[in-house]
Amino acid sequence: MIMFSKKFIGLLLVFSLLMLIVGSPAIMAEDSRLRATFSWPTEIDPAVGSDYSSSTALTNLYDTLVYPDPDGPMKPHLARNWEISDDNLSYIFYLEEDVKFHDGSKFTAQDVKFSFERLMAVGEGFAYIFEGRIDEINVIDDYTIEFTLEEPFGPFLSTLTRLYIVSKNQVMDNINHDADTYGEYGDYGRDWLMVNDAGTGAYQVVEFDVGHRLLMERFDEYFAEMHPQAPGEFEMIGTTEAVTIRTEMNRRDLDISDMWQTSQAFASLKEIEGIELVGWPDGGQLYLMLNTTAPPLDCVHVRRALAYVFDYDVAINQIFPGSQRARGPVAQVIPGWNPDLYRFEKNYERAQEELQQSEYHGQFSDYPIEYAWTDEVPDLERLALMLQAEASVVGLNLEIVRTPWMSMIDQAAQPETTPHIASVFVNPHYPEAGSILESKYHSSTTGTWEQMEWLQNEEIDNMIEDALKTVDLEARVDIYQEIQEIIVELSPSIFALDNFEQHAYQAEYIDWPQPDNPIPAIGYNFDVRFIGLDTELRAEMR
Amino acid sequence: MNLKKFIGYRLIYSIFVLLGLSILIFTIARVVPGDPVRLALGARASQEVVESVRAQMYLDQPIVLQYLYWVRDIFQGNFGISLFTRRNVLIDIQQFLPATMELALVSGVIMAVFGILLGTLAAQKKNSLMDNLVRLVAYVGVVTPSFVLAIFFVLIFGYVFNIMPTAGRLSSYIQAPPWITGMITVDSLLTGNFAAFFNALRHLLLPAISLAMAGLSQQARITRSTMSDNLQKDYIQAHRTYGIPRRRIMSKYLLKPSLIPTVSILGLDFAALLANAFLVELIFNWPGFSRYGINAILRKDLNAIIAVVMVMGIIFVTVNIIVDIVVAYLDPRIRMGRERS
Amino acid sequence: MNSKKTEISADYKKKNWLRRKETLQRAWYKFSANILSVVGLIIVIAVILLAVFAPWVAPHPDHAGAVVDFTATMQSPGAGNLMGTDGVGRDLLSRIIFGFRFSLMMGLVVIGLAAPPGIILGLIAGYYQGTKIDTAIMRFADIFLAVPPLILAMSITSVLSPNIFNAMLAVTLMWWPWYTRLVYGLASSLQNEYFVQSAEVMGASTPHILFKEILPNCISAIFTKITLDMGFVIIIGASLSFVGLGAQPPTPDLGTMVADGAKYMPDQWWLTIFPALAIVFVVLGFNLLGDGLRDVLAVEEV
Repeated sequence: MIMFSKKFIGLLLVFSLLMLIVGSPAIMAEDSRLRATFSWPTEIDPAVGSDYSSSTALTNLYDTLVYPDPDGPMKPHLARNWEISDDNLSYIFYLEEDVKFHDGSKFTAQDVKFSFERLMAVGEGFAYIFEGRIDEINVIDDYTIEFTLEEPFGPFLSTLTRLYIVSKNQVMDNINHDADTYGEYGDYGRDWLMVNDAGTGAYQVVEFDVGHRLLMERFDEYFAEMHPQAPGEFEMIGTTEAVTIRTEMNRRDLDISDMWQTSQAFASLKEIEGIELVGWPDGGQLYLMLNTTAPPLDCVHVRRALAYVFDYDVAINQIFPGSQRARGPVAQVIPGWNPDLYRFEKNYERAQEELQQSEYHGQFSDYPIEYAWTDEVPDLERLALMLQAEASVVGLNLEIVRTPWMSMIDQAAQPETTPHIASVFVNPHYPEAGSILESKYHSSTTGTWEQMEWLQNEEIDNMIEDALKTVDLEARVDIYQEIQEIIVELSPSIFALDNFEQHAYQAEYIDWPQPDNPIPAIGYNFDVRFIGLDTELRAEMR
Repeated sequence: MNLKKFIGYRLIYSIFVLLGLSILIFTIARVVPGDPVRLALGARASQEVVESVRAQMYLDQPIVLQYLYWVRDIFQGNFGISLFTRRNVLIDIQQFLPATMELALVSGVIMAVFGILLGTLAAQKKNSLMDNLVRLVAYVGVVTPSFVLAIFFVLIFGYVFNIMPTAGRLSSYIQAPPWITGMITVDSLLTGNFAAFFNALRHLLLPAISLAMAGLSQQARITRSTMSDNLQKDYIQAHRTYGIPRRRIMSKYLLKPSLIPTVSILGLDFAALLANAFLVELIFNWPGFSRYGINAILRKDLNAIIAVVMVMGIIFVTVNIIVDIVVAYLDPRIRMGRERS
Repeated sequence: MNSKKTEISADYKKKNWLRRKETLQRAWYKFSANILSVVGLIIVIAVILLAVFAPWVAPHPDHAGAVVDFTATMQSPGAGNLMGTDGVGRDLLSRIIFGFRFSLMMGLVVIGLAAPPGIILGLIAGYYQGTKIDTAIMRFADIFLAVPPLILAMSITSVLSPNIFNAMLAVTLMWWPWYTRLVYGLASSLQNEYFVQSAEVMGASTPHILFKEILPNCISAIFTKITLDMGFVIIIGASLSFVGLGAQPPTPDLGTMVADGAKYMPDQWWLTIFPALAIVFVVLGFNLLGDGLRDVLAVEEV
């Protein structure tokens, strides 16, 4: 009896192990899902999300009045066209009339007004862009709406790429009245919009596992153009783990990689048959932010010396291959960048000269310089080690600190806690130099992770404000360029490189047409409705 | 003292331990430099919003009051908002805990079953091939950190041979079962979805083994040594001279007493397993509570950290109570109520 | 009289010494009978020597610090670099040798800080078993034992800001109760022994009883636990570093190296595999040694 059961159990064990290892890949449902990895968390409430993965989700779930045009100013989108008054204070938008929300209701001007009011009331995400800019919004009829500005605001149309339109009715139906955070609006639908969408976008939420993955499906009544083979579903997966990505791409279980892989990882992904790399300068830049309030970096000569020891060639060729030498404070794809700026090169002699002019000369050993990097981007450590080694040549002592992203945000709040050097990628929020200049160097943005320089320069503040009020594009660009010159003179940051957003993707069965010029607004380059997926070819390759 | 009284005593005592733990972790989380509200809302949020949230979180109150409010809120099901998911931590616990429990249970079963099995096999004959093999495996298991094991597994089975899934709980081409318990294997069995069941089991295997190895080795070592000690005991030798078959001696007279030390460290091994899950879930991209926990820890997500530590404490204390009861059942000599150290 | 006394004491000392020598010899004989224990001892001694003499042993001692060589990045193991180079061109073997330093330091500092208070509290609680002192100490210790040490250590390190100092502090904070628990068990069983009671009758002070009577009888168990714990603390330290809560670059820390290397798997496999094997090597050494000691010192259970 015992013998029998032992044999039986043994057989059973072997059998189940075999079942487990061989598996059952034959049972494969109709699979039209495009899978891509992203760094997490992702926030899909249009009044909350603002980072890269959130912007990508928002671009696919929602629409905006205008759409960034890589070849010029804004293109019509939910707005067919618009009129601007002579004093540049009134914008009248004429809206598309046959747009449907995902719940089937019709899009009208009321939704635009509601979306704006909700964004401002919640006050997170991209709300700050519009803070103090809009005087009133006037719904003229169902398909006509007027925005009246407080004062002229040059980049106003560009900023509208961050006003995502939600369905008023759907949000109102899903308000949680137990919370009274927003008075009569209860929680303003926040609980619901955190995991659902109320948009008109080409994709709609099927399931959102917060902290893990976001699954969307194609919205077949979408009003604008789509790739004929646009994927039936789009899944955003929250991981950047290199081995996982490598394995899953090899199996064709993953179609597009995230952008945070190391150059080595990208190189080996490219080795896999059928996988290609695609990339574009995304308008962002890697800044080494120098805290201008912390000695010895409060001395401009020390800051310049650091800019002279930084090895720009190693940074763009060895550490972040594909990226481009930065020109200055504004990336070279953002309208308004200045092509004539002075550019620092690696030069120990110049660095020494600068150090000799510094008031701290001879006492640098008393002033250790803290260099913070975030481990979300592993290659930043190599960059830090490079600068540490180079700076030691001219006698500057750098201490490298791996800082979790949340701690970095925390430290950025006060000049005293802000590290001397912080390496961070920053993107403009709307496609214009004014956006990045304001978020990087205007006094109002000190305390955010985007400005750890604490520049607080009144002249620059005034010039930025002037520029934003200037409606004429050329005149505005002139001021932008002048600001950039002053900033280079002050060297509050090392302009390490213009970022090159790169993805590995299954070129064999994915058609991902790239515009000649990239769209310098995060999220918009990952508009899935323009991507074609050949599901049959993929099934064959699996 | 009878069993009921014993359990009652253990329960009350555990509540005090958990209370102490909550004070400890709450204090640590509240004395940190930095502004949790700013972190939650981002630097661009307006000052009014910040102030109102600060008041909502009682951060303007003295710390003792903050703690009392916190305890009160917990009993109302409000664990505070997580920075990471921006919702009540309780919802996060509900969402992520089943995945970890599923992993821990499978891993715990592997650990106990194979640990005791290997230990018994090794004890049959000292210094035999089997004995030495088991000892070798046991050493490897004890000295290899689980995260190292996990990385090796991903490399070997996921990449070199490419035969096992190395990420997530279910392949995306499999129709997931409806959420009943949140444990995919259970839910798929309940709904008769065998494709999902086997697929989920395949996903479970590698992370579960990485987690189980340390405890498994520990169990095998202890079972082996107690069993071979007991084999020398007079009463067993006596049974042998009576001519009772060896197999019967093993299963009837030897196993139960030899399991006592093994079971009493099961609690500790389970704790190690839960702790290691923090790293292993990260490597296998397992959407569980430990991965949530490590993200909370790395992001300084204070409300979530407190909740994670408390939940782990509750699980750990519960497991220990169960272990104590099982040991008391196995060994009538243990006088209940007397603390075993 | 006086000279005789000295003589006796000298004679006694000599005898005592001979007896000790004999005990040691017998212990060594027993210890060396198990080949695994000897292997453990050799590994531990080798690691300690490597760590101490790292600047002279490592092929590129400067590579432990802030050095980059972008002409020699990611070279696979070969003649030039036995274990290859990392992403900024540093020799991996040199970094692993220096990594042993930090692993050992982690173990020594944590146990050095955690063991004494843990032992003292355990002695007191064990001696006063059944009193309020016992309850207070042991219940306090139980709070720290209510959560797996790694979890609380990670939480504390993250909240305090991650660096090697805070990591050690956090692990120490989690580790003392294990010693308290061990010594408590031993001391509470010893407190009724005749030698403790006779010391009490003779009016010996409490510190005398705790440290001169009870402690010596716990030493072998404590010593064995310390040896075994070296391995476990090193694993915990490596785990903390693995998630980024331990040592900061350019410090060569084995756990950090495994984590960083994992991002370059599987092509640059050496970046992960070698540091991982190094951890296994150290921990194995201390475990084998600890097990050997346990057999020799006849410690029941640690």
